[in-house]
Amino acid sequence: MSPDAPQPAEQQSPDPASAVGLQDRGAADPFAPAGTPWTPVSPRLATARRISLAITAVFPLAAAVLLLLLPAVPKWIGALVLAATAVGVLWGWWFIGRRVASFGYSERADDLLVTSGVLFRRLVIVPYGRMQLVDLAAGPLDRAMGVATVQLHTAAATTDATIPGLPPDVAAGLRDRLAALGEQRSAGL
Amino acid sequence: MSGTQPPASGEPRRVSRISPFVHGARIVPAVLIGMIAFGSQWSAGVPGLGVAVAFGTAVGAGLLVAAYRWIAWRRLTFWFDADGDLRMNSGVWFRNERRLQLSRLQSVDVTQPLIARIAGMAALHVEAAGAGDSRLTLEYLTVAQAQVLRDEIIARSAGLRHDAGAAPEQILVQVPTGDLLKSLLLRGTTVMLFLLTILVVVGALATAGTAGLLVIIGGGLPLLTVFSEFAKFFGFTVADSPDGLRLRHGLLQTSAQTVPPGRVQAVGFTEPWLWRSRGWVRVSLNVAGVGTGSQGSGNDAYTENVLLPVAPWPVALSVVARVLPGVDVTALEMHAVPSRARRRAPIQFRRLLVGHDAHVFAAARGRVVHHLALIPHARTQSVRVTQGPWERALGLASVHVDSTPGPVQISGLHRPAAEARAIAEAQLRRAAAARTAAGTQRWMASAEPGNRAAES
Repeated sequence: MSPDAPQPAEQQSPDPASAVGLQDRGAADPFAPAGTPWTPVSPRLATARRISLAITAVFPLAAAVLLLLLPAVPKWIGALVLAATAVGVLWGWWFIGRRVASFGYSERADDLLVTSGVLFRRLVIVPYGRMQLVDLAAGPLDRAMGVATVQLHTAAATTDATIPGLPPDVAAGLRDRLAALGEQRSAGL
Repeated sequence: MSGTQPPASGEPRRVSRISPFVHGARIVPAVLIGMIAFGSQWSAGVPGLGVAVAFGTAVGAGLLVAAYRWIAWRRLTFWFDADGDLRMNSGVWFRNERRLQLSRLQSVDVTQPLIARIAGMAALHVEAAGAGDSRLTLEYLTVAQAQVLRDEIIARSAGLRHDAGAAPEQILVQVPTGDLLKSLLLRGTTVMLFLLTILVVVGALATAGTAGLLVIIGGGLPLLTVFSEFAKFFGFTVADSPDGLRLRHGLLQTSAQTVPPGRVQAVGFTEPWLWRSRGWVRVSLNVAGVGTGSQGSGNDAYTENVLLPVAPWPVALSVVARVLPGVDVTALEMHAVPSRARRRAPIQFRRLLVGHDAHVFAAARGRVVHHLALIPHARTQSVRVTQGPWERALGLASVHVDSTPGPVQISGLHRPAAEARAIAEAQLRRAAAARTAAGTQRWMASAEPGNRAAES
């Protein structure tokens, strides 16, 4: 494990994940999938998050309209708030797409890999024997959009292996599989 | 042994009947100080009235607390059930039934807060790692009772007979008071606090007035944190026994913590800049459930993640050798980061190292304060690879080995990107192999069940 060893080029096979933004990570990509390609999450997660963004944007929008209507306030202040809101929403709209496309997971024989992140990228690898519990959660908006979140917990607080945006049946299947594997290989602490 | 024998298994037990009064007495000083501080104005007319009212209120408050705690005392029972687990029923308004799986015991502490200590009483804290709140606190027992119960819990957890008694112990290190004091003064944070205090005092003197006095007292408070650390680690003693490490310390509030073998999740060495010329080091531990403050009762000060507050390197290494058998820290082959990491971490890049041996993974960082973290392969919870935008531009990535919550974090920062992933994968393989080889949770169960005192 010499620090300056030539870095082996990872095989980049064409995979379905390439279509959703997991491609283009260079030869020495530490976030390359292991064996099987990354399973992407549902694009409906992006829809859910964009709806959430739109709901949040109502507040600055209302503030902007109020500022424009108040005679005592110069018009340019309202316009500025409006412009800032518009830029924020547009950027958020685009970023949600990138962020959702960055999620991927992969089930190996002994562990689960979860990757995410656009600017700050991360890869978490959790051995099945270390899983303490598997959470399955879906808020009202998630349920309306048909997505759910699976979260793995180990005895470490820093593990943070969260897979949002799974179709409910996929999420339940994954949860059951992980729980069974965790039970089977449980290794205490 | 104190001569007190633990009662039979299933029999419900209670904490000491004096404990309500200890609870009551513990709040008296706080109320007294509060009354004197805030009551000094309105009682100015009649001499002595203020003091009398303050004392009266404090005693009254103490009695009220004692009365409430008496009800709580009546409703608190604990016992060992048929499975050998520790059970406790408690609660005045909300009934709380708690069961602690002793096979998962992580740490047992006997603490004596100052007031309890004066009364000859002690509290027992039992930590068994698990999801959520897995801590059980019994307050107060007589010191002898607490020790017998501690030994019984450990014996049951170890798979011995419940009346096996305390394991013989051997004192490894006693931290000299002078060294502790010097080490606390020779820290960057203390120096900063001291300069800050001088600044505040000079500023207060310059502006003068009675308000200035308050400012001086307030400004002096940060230095109290140094004193509280001194008081906490005063008389720090590390002893080894078949039941694990015994850590004893404390000036006003004393604490005796037992960490059974194999419960240490990670070990960290910290060397502040000013300690290095003296060759001193602090050793910290991650123990599951300890020091994470899962019980916000304000009594968490006893939780301890420090194995040695200060010690010369050779002493620290000899103690760590007990915790992590077979590990030779000095023989670890550590690997540096490439020179391009200088552009991400200009100060500490030379100190960014990772390495491993047959038992542990090691990661070092920090230029001003040196950090070295060790995690046994078998204790690896998960591994992570992270990459920020600047790391990405340089073709670097960081690798982290996750341990249970605690002061020790194991991170190999700013490695070549592909190497970071390779380290992560290799660590997973080592962890899997070590897990397969790992033994039982009841560390003495393989030994002949019986009275340990007779064996040794």
